[in-house]
Amino acid sequence: MRDLAYELRRLRGLRSTWLLLAAVLLCDVVVAAVLAGQAPAGPLAAPAGVRLLTAAVPLIPLPFAALGAGLLGALSYGHEVRHPGLAASQVTYFRRVRLLLAKLLVVGPVAALLALVTVLLDTVAVHLALPAGVTVPAWTDPEALSDRVSEALGAVGLGGPADLPGVFAPVALVVGHGVPAALLAFVLLTVVAAWTGVLTASLTRSAAAGVLLLCALPPLLESGVALLLRRTGRPWPTRAAELLPFQSGIEWAYGWVYGGAREAAAGSAALTDPALLAAVAVPAVALMLAALLVQVRRRSL
Amino acid sequence: MIQITGLTKVRHKGAPPIVLDVTFDARPGMVTVLLGDEGAGKSTALRLMLELERGQGVTLFDGRPYRRIRRPERQIGVLLSGPGDGATAVAGNPGRKARGHLRMLAAAVGVPVRRADELLEQTRLSAVAEQRLRTFSPGMHRRLSLAAALLGDPGTLLLDAPTEGLSPRNVEWFHSFLRSFAVAGGTVLVTTRTPREAAQLADRVVTLDRGRLVADQPVAEFCRTRLSPEVAVRGPQMARLADMLVNQGARVRPDGGAGLAVAGIDRTEIGELAYRNGILLHELADRVVEQPVPRAAPPVTSGNSGHLGLQRDSEAAHETAQEMAHASAHTSVTEATPPTPEPSATPAPLPTLPDRPASAVPTVPEPATEGRARDDAAVRPTRALPVAAVTAVLPALTAAPQADHAPAVDRLLRNQLTPAARPTPAPEPARTEPARTEPVRSDAAPTQPSQYRESAADLLSDDTVRLGRVTAGKTPATPDDHRSE
Repeated sequence: MRDLAYELRRLRGLRSTWLLLAAVLLCDVVVAAVLAGQAPAGPLAAPAGVRLLTAAVPLIPLPFAALGAGLLGALSYGHEVRHPGLAASQVTYFRRVRLLLAKLLVVGPVAALLALVTVLLDTVAVHLALPAGVTVPAWTDPEALSDRVSEALGAVGLGGPADLPGVFAPVALVVGHGVPAALLAFVLLTVVAAWTGVLTASLTRSAAAGVLLLCALPPLLESGVALLLRRTGRPWPTRAAELLPFQSGIEWAYGWVYGGAREAAAGSAALTDPALLAAVAVPAVALMLAALLVQVRRRSL
Repeated sequence: MIQITGLTKVRHKGAPPIVLDVTFDARPGMVTVLLGDEGAGKSTALRLMLELERGQGVTLFDGRPYRRIRRPERQIGVLLSGPGDGATAVAGNPGRKARGHLRMLAAAVGVPVRRADELLEQTRLSAVAEQRLRTFSPGMHRRLSLAAALLGDPGTLLLDAPTEGLSPRNVEWFHSFLRSFAVAGGTVLVTTRTPREAAQLADRVVTLDRGRLVADQPVAEFCRTRLSPEVAVRGPQMARLADMLVNQGARVRPDGGAGLAVAGIDRTEIGELAYRNGILLHELADRVVEQPVPRAAPPVTSGNSGHLGLQRDSEAAHETAQEMAHASAHTSVTEATPPTPEPSATPAPLPTLPDRPASAVPTVPEPATEGRARDDAAVRPTRALPVAAVTAVLPALTAAPQADHAPAVDRLLRNQLTPAARPTPAPEPARTEPARTEPVRSDAAPTQPSQYRESAADLLSDDTVRLGRVTAGKTPATPDDHRSE
C-alpha cells in the first residue's frame, strides 16, 4: 500500500509523465485526422474504421497510445534506476518486488485510460475530418445504433433511452460491426505494452533499452506466433490483423517487396483462439518471471 | 547503539582485504567518525553494516542485524553517497520539485505528508521547496538527502561523507545538525576523509587505514595524537627569526621560500619576539597540521604510538621543560628521566604555552579559546613522554562530556574561530604595541572574520531554539528533541 502511494506520487510529480501523455494524444488526433482526410469515398470498412480510431500507421511497430504507454512504463522504472530516490538500504528484495508490482498496478490503469481517451478524441477528430463522400454504415441508420446501445445497456441491467439524439453520432464509429471487440483489444494491447515496458526496463535497468526491446518485441512475437500458427495449420486471426498496423512480422517486413500477399495469411479465426492466447501469454509470463528472478540477484532496483 | 564486530570484506581471493576485522561501537548520544583516506574502506564498511555488500562480520543495531529490522527506515536514517561522487551526487530525479520528492518518499516510508514539510523547514529548504531539483546546489542536494533520511524519525544516522565537496557554510550547518542530533540522544556514525573535520565533529574517532582499524580514540586523544597546531610565519628576515625561535625552544622548519612553520610556540609570542628584535613580518597565522596515520599493522586502540621518535632532536630542552611543568601539575607522573632545567639561552621567560601551569608570567587572556587551549595543553607533552601524556589527558577526558553538552556553538566553532581568524576584540589587553604597530597581518585576516562571524550569527539564528534548549540544561529531554522542531 505504501509502495502504491509512493508510485502514484512519483508518477504524478514528474512533468515528463504529463508531457508524454499530451504528446501521445496530440499525435493520435493529428494522425487520425490526416488518415480520415485520406479515406476513400464510399462506405467505410470496419478494419479501416478501427485503424482510424486507434490512429495506427504502419510506420511504427505499435499504435501511438501503446507506444506511449510502453514508454511511460519503461520510464517509470528507468527513472528509478537513474535517479534513485529511495536509499539503497531501503530497497530489499521484497521491497523491490512490491515496487515492481506497484508500478504495474499504477501504469496499467493509466494505460487503459490513455487508450480510452485516445479512442474518444480520435472519434471526434475522425468525425470532423471525414470527407463528405465517406459513409459509416452504423452512422447512416440511427435506429440500428440506438438498438445496439440499448441492447448493450440492457445487458448490464440498465434501461437506456430508446432513441439517441444526434449528438452521439460519432459514437456510431465505435459501435460498428465487430469494432467493439477490436477496440477492447486495443485497450488491452495498450495495457500490455505498458506492462511490457516496465518489465523490459526492469530487465535492462534502462528506459531506452527497455523501449527498444518493447519496440522489437511485437514484430518478433508476431512472426513467432505466425510461424507457430502456420505450422499448426491455423490462419492468422483477422481481428489481430485489424488491430495491429501489420499482419505478421514476416509479411510486414517483406510482404510489400513481393507485391503484397497480405490476404493469404488472413483467415477467420477468433481472437479468443486458445493457441493465440497461449502464444501471447507465454512470453508475457516468461518476461514477468525473468524480471522477478533478476531482482533476486540484484542489490538495488 | 551500533555494535560492529569483525567486519571483513575480501573482493578477490588473494587480493588484499578491503576491510579487515573492523570492530568498534557507536554509542547513543555521541558522534562517531570513521576516518580514513580515500580507499581506506570507510564506505565499504558502511555498506557492510547495512548488508548492501556480502562480507563477514556482524553489525547489530540495538541488538538486531539490519535485515532483521522490520521497518529499517523508521530506526536508521541512511545517507550513502548516491550516483555520482561528491559534488555531483543528486538527491533524486532532477525534474522533480523538492516538496514533491520528499512527499513521495514520505509515502514510501509511511509517514504523513506533514512530516515532509516539517523536514523541509528543518533543513532550511522550505524557501526552495517548489523548485526543481536540477536547480539545486550540491549542498541543497545533500540537505534534501538528509531530510529524506530523517523522514522515518530514526534514532540512528549513518552518513557516508556527508560534507564532502560542500561549501564551508553547508559543512558548518551539517556539523551543527549532527551535533545537536547526538546531543538529543541519537547515534550518529559519519565517515570523513579529513582529520580536521573529524576533530570538529566527533566525540569518538575511529581511524581506518587500508581496511584495518588503527585507532579508536576519544576526540581529545585524537586531537592530541593526530593534529598539531603550527604557526606560519613569512617575512624577509626569516633566518634570524628562526635562530631566535630555536633558542626559545620552538620547532622550526622551512616552509616555502621565505616562510617558516613554527611549532611549539604561540603566535602572539612569535609576534612579540619579532617586534622586540625588529624583524619585519609579512604573515603570521595559525594553522593545524595533520600528523600521518599511525601505520601500525596490529590494531592499536590507545593510539598514542607512532609519534614517539618524531620530534625528539630539535626540541629536547623545550620538551623537558614542559614535562617539568606537567610534573608539577599532575602529581601521578611515572617518568624516569630527570627533569633538566631549561637552557640558559632562553632570553626571557616568555609564556610558551597559554595555560602552562608552572609559568610565572601571566598568560595572554583569550576569551573564547578554552577548547583550543585545552587541546594545546594536551598536544605538547605527548611527544616527549607518552606515559605522562595519559595523565595529562585525564582531566581533559573527564571534562569533555560536560563541555560537549553545554556550549554546542562554542564547540563547533572551536577550531574555526582561532585567534588569527578573529577580529581582535576589546578585552585583549596583552596584545599591546607589537600587534598594533607592527605590520603583523595574516592573509586570511581581512576576509575570514566577517565570513565566520556572519555564519556564526546565521547559525545562531537558525538553531537558537535548539541550542537554547540544549544549554538550558535538560540535555536529552526526549530522543525526539531535535526532530520536533
